[in-house]
Amino acid sequence: MLNIWQVSWRNITQNKKRFSFTLLAIILGISFVTSMLVADKTTNDVFNYYEQMYVANADYWVLSDEHTYSEEIVSPIQQDLTVTDTLLALDKQTFFELEGDRSLNERSVRITGVNDQNSPLLVLPVIEGSLDNEGIILPEAAADLLGKGVGDTIRFANMGEAKVSAIVEYTQLLASPGNWESAESSSFRVIAPLELLREWTGKNDEISYMRFQTEGDGEDLFQNFQQKFRDASVYIEPVVADDLQSNDIGGLYTFFYLIAGLSIFISGFIVFNMIYTSVIERKREFAIMKSLGYTQGSVSKLVLIEMTLLAAMGTAIGVPLGIWLGDLFMQGLLSVFEFDMVYTLNWKLPTLIAITIGLLFPILFSLFPIYSAGKTSILLTLKNGSVVNASSRQYKLKAIAGLALLCFVFIDHPVSYAAVLASVILLFPILLVGLGKLMKPVLTALFNYSGVIAAKNLSMQLNRNANTGAILAIGISVILLLSTVVESAPEGYEKEIKNTYGGDVRVTSEAPWSAEDVNKLFSYHAVTDVKPLTEATPITWETIHEERRQFSVLSVSENGPSLFTHTREKDLTNKLKQKSSVLLGERAFNEWGGNIGESIRMNTPNGEQYYEVIGVVNTSHYSGYVAFMDENQLRDEFGWNNSFDLLLTLNSKANNSIRDQLWSDFGGYLSKVRTVEDEIKTTTSAISGMNSLIFVMLFMIIVLASIGTANTLLINTYERRFEIGTMRALGFTKQQVRNMILAEGILIGVSGVVGGIAAAVILVYITSKSELMEGFVSFHLPVSHLILAIIAGVSLSICAAWISSKTASKLDIQSSLKEG
Amino acid sequence: MITIENLSKEFLQGQQSTEVLKGVNLNIKEGEFVAIMGPSGSGKSTLLQLLGGLDVPTNGTIQIDQKYLNGMTEKERTIFRRKKLGFVFQNYQLLSTLTVEENIAFPLHADGKLTNEKNRMIQELIESVGLDGLNRKRVNLLSGGQQQRVAIARALVNNPAVLLADEPTGNLDRAKAEEILSLFLKFHHENKQTIIMVTHDIFAAGFADRIVLFRDGVVDRVISRKDGDYAKYLASFMA
Repeated sequence: MLNIWQVSWRNITQNKKRFSFTLLAIILGISFVTSMLVADKTTNDVFNYYEQMYVANADYWVLSDEHTYSEEIVSPIQQDLTVTDTLLALDKQTFFELEGDRSLNERSVRITGVNDQNSPLLVLPVIEGSLDNEGIILPEAAADLLGKGVGDTIRFANMGEAKVSAIVEYTQLLASPGNWESAESSSFRVIAPLELLREWTGKNDEISYMRFQTEGDGEDLFQNFQQKFRDASVYIEPVVADDLQSNDIGGLYTFFYLIAGLSIFISGFIVFNMIYTSVIERKREFAIMKSLGYTQGSVSKLVLIEMTLLAAMGTAIGVPLGIWLGDLFMQGLLSVFEFDMVYTLNWKLPTLIAITIGLLFPILFSLFPIYSAGKTSILLTLKNGSVVNASSRQYKLKAIAGLALLCFVFIDHPVSYAAVLASVILLFPILLVGLGKLMKPVLTALFNYSGVIAAKNLSMQLNRNANTGAILAIGISVILLLSTVVESAPEGYEKEIKNTYGGDVRVTSEAPWSAEDVNKLFSYHAVTDVKPLTEATPITWETIHEERRQFSVLSVSENGPSLFTHTREKDLTNKLKQKSSVLLGERAFNEWGGNIGESIRMNTPNGEQYYEVIGVVNTSHYSGYVAFMDENQLRDEFGWNNSFDLLLTLNSKANNSIRDQLWSDFGGYLSKVRTVEDEIKTTTSAISGMNSLIFVMLFMIIVLASIGTANTLLINTYERRFEIGTMRALGFTKQQVRNMILAEGILIGVSGVVGGIAAAVILVYITSKSELMEGFVSFHLPVSHLILAIIAGVSLSICAAWISSKTASKLDIQSSLKEG
Repeated sequence: MITIENLSKEFLQGQQSTEVLKGVNLNIKEGEFVAIMGPSGSGKSTLLQLLGGLDVPTNGTIQIDQKYLNGMTEKERTIFRRKKLGFVFQNYQLLSTLTVEENIAFPLHADGKLTNEKNRMIQELIESVGLDGLNRKRVNLLSGGQQQRVAIARALVNNPAVLLADEPTGNLDRAKAEEILSLFLKFHHENKQTIIMVTHDIFAAGFADRIVLFRDGVVDRVISRKDGDYAKYLASFMA
C-alpha cells in the first residue's frame, strides 16, 4: 500500500545536497528566533528576579524629602495591627580606609544600616558567611575588588571598623562597582547593623526610610497615612517593581527581533527556492498523477506533507540549538552591559513559541509552490514540459516598479524602508545582468572562457539568481543600517546628554544642600555657575491601565538648567507654571499609554494627585523614563521641598581635579559626583559593546544568505546537467566546469554585496534625514562592518559556489547527455 | 587510424553485471565514413562513447591517431577529445544561452583564446553549413535542421581527426536528414574527414562507405561499399 508520508520523504531526500542545504537554512533560521525568544524571556526573568529581590515582601515604605527623619514618626504604623513586618534603614555616606593609594571617590561607600538582616522585607542571597546582625554584608563584586572575605575587618573613615559577616549575590540595594574605573564615579554599597551605624554616626533614633508589609492590600492604611503625612517631611509610597528607570533592555530586544525576523525571511526564501524548483521539476509527474485521478487537493497535500516533514526536522534540530545559542547570547549580553547578575535559562514558553514558528514558517513560504503543484495542467504540462521562463518585458516592468518604489526615499515614513527593500528585489535582475557585463573582463581574466560562460549562464534563471543576490543584499543592507544606528548612537546620545544634562558636573548629597555649601562651590576657581536640581524620587504613578510604576520627577524653571529638548522648549516651560501640569520623557509617556491633554495619577508627598500631561520631551535623564514639573509647583502643589543635587558649570575641563576637591570638602555627606563625561561614557560603553554582537550577527546573516547561494547554484547545476554534460563532451575539463560555477557564485556574491551596500546607503540616508530620528543618525556607513560585509559576502559566496562546483564537476557525462 | 582490439564493457547494476560489448575488434581507416547499425542494446552507442573517451572500457584497447585512450587520465582524455574528436548528437546538445557563432566556437574557447585565423575558420564553417547571416542568433530560436547544422559546424571547428555522430538525423524528417547527411558527405569528400556514425536508419547508413552491424555486443557483419552485395543489402532494407 502507498504510504504518502513515505513517498513524501523519498521526494524530499531525492536530492540529498539540496535537501541538506534547505534543512540547514530552516535550522539556522529557527535557531536564531529561538535564541532571541529564550534570551528575551530569560532577560525579563532576570530583571523580574532582581526587581522582586529589591521589593522583597514589602508593600509600602515611608521616605523623606530630607535625609533622615525620627523613627517616632512611623511608630503609629509600626503599632498598626494590619502591619505584619517592618524594616528600618539608615543610609550613611563615608569612605573605606584602604591600603594603597586610592582616591576618595574610589573609596566612597554608602552604608545602609538595617535593624534586621534576616527580615523577610530584605532578600540577601548569601554566598558565604551568615546574616548575624553583627557584621558587615558585602556584595560579591565589592568583596572581590577589595579582596575581603568573611571574617576580614573593614574600616570606615571617621567611624569605626567591623568584621565582614556575609558575602551576598548582586542585588539593587547593594549595586557596587566591579572595577576601580567604575568606582571613580559610583559608590560601593554595604549593609551594617542599624545599631552599629547609629553608634558610629550618633543618629540614635534616625532612619532614612521604613519598609513594611501589611495584611491584605493595606490600601486603607496607605490612604490614611498619605493624608496624615500631607505637609510633613515624610511621605508614604507603595513599593513598586519597576526597572525601566535603570534599563532600556526592551528597546534593545526590538533590535534583535528585527535581526531574527530577517533570518526567518532569508530561510523562508531558501525554502521557497527549493520547493518551487522541485515543483517545477515534477510538473510532469503531477500531470501524470492528475491524469490517473489525483485531485488538485491530493497533489497539493503531497507537497504540503513534504514541507511539513522538512519543517518538523528543522524545528527538531533548530530549537535545541537555539536554546544553546540563547544561553551564549545571554552571557554575551550580560557581559556587554557589565551586569553582575546570575540567570536561569527560561526555555519552556519560548520553545513552544519557537516550535510553532518553526513548523509554520516553511509552510507559509511554500504556499505558492504548494498551490502551483495542485494547479498543474495535465495537457499543457505533458505537451510543453516544465519550462518556465520570464520574458524580458516582465523584467522591464519589475524594474519600472522598483524605480517607482525608490521614490519613497523622499517620504519620511517607516513604510519607506519596506519600499526600498521591495525595490531591491525588483531591480536586482537588472543589476545582476549589468554587473555580469561589467565584470566580464575581470571574470575572463580570472577564469578565461569559464568566466564568460558564467556571466551568460546567470541569465538562464535570472529570477532565481537575482532573488538569491537580492536576499544577500537585503541581509547586508539591514545589518549595515542597524550597525550604523549603533555606531551613530554614542554620538547621538553624547549630543543629547550634553544638551540636557544641565551642567558639567552633577553632585549628589545625602542631605539637602545648604546656602553655605552653594557659596563655597561658587568660590571654586573652575566653577562658573551652580544650579540646584530638585529630584523627587521615588514617585509612584499609574499607567492608563491602572498598573503602578515608579520614576523621578525633576523640577524645571525658566532660568534653571536645561534638562530636556523640544522644539517649543520655552513655551512648554512657561506652560508648566500652570497648576497640575507635567511633562513626560518619551519612554515614560509610552509606558503611561495616554494622550497629551489627559491626566496622569501620581502618589505625591501631598497625597494622590492628577497632573495634566502637556507634552512629551527628549531627555537623557533616566533615558526618558522621567517627568518634569515647574519648580514652584513641585514645592507647593507636589510637596517636595529639598534639593539633594547641584549642577555645576565649569569654565574649563577640570573635572578630575574638581572631583577630588568636592570629595575632600563635602566628603561627609557627598554621595555621588558625576560628570557629563561619566554619564556619556556609561551610556555609550554598553552601545559600543553592542557592536560586537552586531558584528557576529552580520556574519551569521551572511552565512545564512550564502547557504541560499549554495542552494541556488546547486539547483542551477542540476537543472543544467545536460548542458554541463555537453560542455564536458566538447572538451571542457572538470576544472573549467568548476571555474564556471565559481564565477557564477562570485557574480551572485558581488551583486549581493554591491546591491546591499547601495541599499544600505539609501536606508541610512532615509534614517539620517528622518524627523523621527531627530538627527540621531548621521549619514555614513560603519567602515568595519562594511569591510566585513564585503569580505564575508564574497568569500562565503565563493565557498557556497565551491560546494556546487564540486557537484558539477562530478556529474557523469553520459547520463547528463541523456537528460537532453 | 582507429584500431579497436578485444574491446569489452561491463555495466554494474546493483549486484548484477551486464556485458554490453564482448570483445569487439574493428579497424577504421583515415578518411573513412563508417555507419554502425544494430538493434537497441546491441552496444553501438556504448562503442561510440568509448571511442569519444566519455567512458573507459572494461577490457581491450582503443587506438586513435596512434594514441591509446586506455592509458590516459580523465583530464588527458578530455583534452584529447577537445583536440582530436568532434561530436554530433541526436538532440543537437547546443548551449541555449549562446549564439550560433558562440556555440560553434565553444571547443576553441575551451582550448584558449580565439585567433583571427580561427575566427575566419568559424565564419567559413557557418557559410559551409548554410547558416550565413545567423551568426548572432540564439540557437534556441533556430529550427531542428538548423540546430543540427550548428552542431556539425561545432564538431568540425577544431578540425578533428574523427567525427563521431550519434543518431544525427534521429530527430529530423527525411528531407532535413538528407541535407544533414549531404553535409557529412561534403566534409568527408572535400576534407577526407573520418566519420563514425551510429544510426538506426538504413537510409542514413547508405551514405557511409562501410556499415558495421552489431548484435549482442559483438560485430555481427561488416558490409563495404566496395563489396558486391552492398547495394543488394541496402535494397533489402529499403524494400
